[in-house]
Amino acid sequence: MNDLYLIYKNMTRKPLRLFLTCFAIFIAFLIYGAVTTLKSAMDSGIDLAADNRLMVVNRINFTVPLPIAYFRKVAAMDGVKNVTHANWFGGYYQDPKKQLVVMAVDPESYLRVYPEVVVDPQQKQAWLRDRQGMLVGEKLAKLYGWKIGDKIPVSSNIFSHKDGGHTWDFVIDGIFTGNTEQYDTGYMVFHYKYFQETQTFGGDNIGWLVLTTEDPSLNEQVAKKIDETFANSAFETDTSTEKAFSKAFIEQVGNIGLIIFGVVFMAFFTILVVVGNTMALAVRERTGEIAVLKTLGFSSPRIFKMVLGESLLIALIGGLAGLGAAHLLIEGAKAAMAQFLPNLVMGGDIVAQAVGFMLLLGLVTGLLPAFNALRLNIVTAFNRGGA
Amino acid sequence: MGSLISQIATVTVMNIRSLPRRLWMSLAMVLASAVVVAILLAFLAMAKGFETTMSSAGSDRVAMLMREGAAAELNSVVTRDQVNLVEDLPGIASDKDGPVVSPELYVIVDGIKKSTGTEANIPLRGLDSRGMALRGNVQLTRGRSFTPGTNELIVGEGVLREFDGFDVGSEVRFGKNTWRVVGAFSTGGNVFESELWADAKVIQSHYNRGSSFQTIRVQLQKPGDLQPLQQGIDADPRLNLDVQTEKAYFTSQGKQLQYMAIFGRVISFIMALGALAGALNTMYTSVADRAREIATLRALGFSNFSAFCGTIAEALVLAIAGGLLGSAAAFLFFDGLNASTLGGSFTQVVFRFEMSPELFVQGAMLALVIGFVSGFFPAWRAARLPVIVAFRQTT
Amino acid sequence: MSEEVLFQLKGVSKSFVKGKEEISIFDDLDMTINRGEFLAIMGPSGSGKTTLLNMLGGVDQPTGGEIWFNGERIDRFKESQLTRWRAHNIGFIFQFYNLMPMLNAARNVELPLLLTNLSKAQRRANVETALTLVGLNDRAKHMPSEMSGGQQQRVAIARAIVSDPQLILCDEPTGDLDRKTADEILEMLQLLNQDHGKTIVMVTHDPAAASYAKKTVHLDKGKFVQREVAA
Repeated sequence: MNDLYLIYKNMTRKPLRLFLTCFAIFIAFLIYGAVTTLKSAMDSGIDLAADNRLMVVNRINFTVPLPIAYFRKVAAMDGVKNVTHANWFGGYYQDPKKQLVVMAVDPESYLRVYPEVVVDPQQKQAWLRDRQGMLVGEKLAKLYGWKIGDKIPVSSNIFSHKDGGHTWDFVIDGIFTGNTEQYDTGYMVFHYKYFQETQTFGGDNIGWLVLTTEDPSLNEQVAKKIDETFANSAFETDTSTEKAFSKAFIEQVGNIGLIIFGVVFMAFFTILVVVGNTMALAVRERTGEIAVLKTLGFSSPRIFKMVLGESLLIALIGGLAGLGAAHLLIEGAKAAMAQFLPNLVMGGDIVAQAVGFMLLLGLVTGLLPAFNALRLNIVTAFNRGGA
Repeated sequence: MGSLISQIATVTVMNIRSLPRRLWMSLAMVLASAVVVAILLAFLAMAKGFETTMSSAGSDRVAMLMREGAAAELNSVVTRDQVNLVEDLPGIASDKDGPVVSPELYVIVDGIKKSTGTEANIPLRGLDSRGMALRGNVQLTRGRSFTPGTNELIVGEGVLREFDGFDVGSEVRFGKNTWRVVGAFSTGGNVFESELWADAKVIQSHYNRGSSFQTIRVQLQKPGDLQPLQQGIDADPRLNLDVQTEKAYFTSQGKQLQYMAIFGRVISFIMALGALAGALNTMYTSVADRAREIATLRALGFSNFSAFCGTIAEALVLAIAGGLLGSAAAFLFFDGLNASTLGGSFTQVVFRFEMSPELFVQGAMLALVIGFVSGFFPAWRAARLPVIVAFRQTT
Repeated sequence: MSEEVLFQLKGVSKSFVKGKEEISIFDDLDMTINRGEFLAIMGPSGSGKTTLLNMLGGVDQPTGGEIWFNGERIDRFKESQLTRWRAHNIGFIFQFYNLMPMLNAARNVELPLLLTNLSKAQRRANVETALTLVGLNDRAKHMPSEMSGGQQQRVAIARAIVSDPQLILCDEPTGDLDRKTADEILEMLQLLNQDHGKTIVMVTHDPAAASYAKKTVHLDKGKFVQREVAA
């Protein structure tokens, strides 16, 4: 027997209470873990953006197109290293509900601007040569079980094919991976030229331009130059860093996300308060026992540590179990959510933060009773206990 | 029987009177109940508000025609010729000016959101007076309507609430075009209030749309009856259009938020389990606290049923107090709260949280359930407490 | 047995403030307890006998005067010193046994040994000895709630002697027991005093219990009223 055994015995003396307490903490941290991970996944686009990459979109809105001529004009500007363009295809596979991220791009420049896209040189050559070819992200290929050489029909909910219908046939020439694990490979790209030749309208329009600057310090200067060049034309531009663009896009989801997170965190803390209160009060019932321990010669600091240790242990047991369950939940949901939230990973910072809250819970709920135990006067304790 | 009732009354009054003595314990129970009720009401109010916005937008009387396969207004294109052909189709209501058909344009512009100060998408709809007439419930709340052929626009009340710079009388710039805001309109709180409206012809020319439109809305002769219209479209190969009622369209557009509401419900249910565990714990501790008191009463001859009822009553009182607190908090924080999110076609939908009386009823019922569940098992324990406990030392 | 002084109280006073009044329990109390003594302190309720016992055990401290134990002045000890001193020198027996409800008999007895540096094996041996002494070795694994009052009190006695203290303080040790069980407990205390040389101080209001002691003192209103030696 040692102090840990005493803590264990104290903790488990009322199994039902221990279970209920741990369960409430478990739930609180389950929700906390899952929701924070969800939130960080939503914000992750911002963190992954390259420093020197700029987005050029129509000033009116990014859904309004730009003329293709801008591609050459921007490419010629000082400070611009590489530039490429893309069109949103509004793609889906077989079922309009199975939306795909599909873009029509200028192949060579696209791969230069996005060094994150890693593709086998042989596959790359094949794709560059094949006008009807498609380059598919590894994640997407896995999701649908596509292999190189597969012929797949991709439909558009925006464009019509010249030959009628909204479906284009593509051949998968290559499957790309990301240079880091975080890079989202849940999309596919094909030749802009093929798109332009086969669609019925839209003319020589492109969706947006993406460019890299020679150096991040030139970002502001280049952005200003581009927007000034096209000012007062029929197509004014708005150039921003990729980071700022992603951030603005996420914020569009709106304060509804903020409100939900607010409500969840409020609930999280309230549950902790309720549980903490019960934990703290539970120790009060043991006033008599603590007095006996003191009479036997257990020192006050030692009792202090035991009381505090108990509440820390309970907080950690419930909390870590909840966090573990949140992890399992997220791993399970990962595949289903991959399309919307590619970076659904419970990062170390989330775990650290959650453990921090557990320790805080254990400390706050343990400190007051532990302090009371420290100060407990044996004589008054026995008088109260009636002994 | 009379004595049983008076017994129950005595025990109940005693338990409730002793609540302040167990202040912290009682507060924990109240708080647990409050948080469950508040979370549920918040999500219900959100769902309710969004539902109001989306469902009242779509009318059964109006059919929407979009290019085949276009899932949203933004993606669709229809030509002037197609509009002319549609005007001759059967099943469309007519007034003195002929069939009620509204060809419309739908482009997206940027506005600055008040809440974040960042750019967000707002739909700019091009339509004419027929389009406004078709939406029966349009009311100008300020200023006047736009004059056809000019750079004038009117602004929805929802846009006014959530975005900066659209006050009546001010000028706004989209791209190189400057627009004058000449009026504000309300459509009874539905999704159209999140839009800007201007003359369709002006938008055609500013946005290089030639003579094309994006959607056609028509008023149906018989509400919900698409049959004649559908047959007419099928018969003419030039009309590669999908037709659906406006109601069906907005319902499908609202799907995303429905997911959010489901997500909210799941979260509040799980959270409720956690809080319920807290409440149960509190009640068990409360019974343990008073074990001697209860046993003494039993020794005096009170029945165990009265001990049971007394504990249940105590739990109910605390849970209802929590329910009231939670409802009040939810009402204070959420009722009328303006929210906005990305809707179906990449545009902002502005809506309000709505706390209706039936939500309060739901909250109250939930509080009762919490009180009953968290009281029942501890009450059971109280009732079965052996009388001998009264004569033992404190545990 | 030589008359070696274990405890000496010199001019001890104890008072506390209740509301505006200062209530005095003892004033200028002198007392000597010798090693090997079995002393019963009797007196009516409120006579201060429990307070006196608490001061002897270093649980309560006097407001004035001196308490000497084995040549050390313990009333000047800090709390931490007193705690350590208690662990080494005193065994307590309470009226209501005060066993830890979540520990079995052996664990309850082992509790004071956590304060020593004994090895696991030594501890187990000590616990067994103590339990054998009180005749409860076969009940080692039983929980307090599974034992009678007399058995619980015997576990408490085992707990009081397991770390081999010089002095055992008992506060109404038979107050909660029937006559027959009480006699067993008292015989056991007598045995500890006679065969194991423990000094025992027992507070009681039961003359029959006091009759087991070698010496009885009567306390009334904070004063010893008469001294008598048991037959």
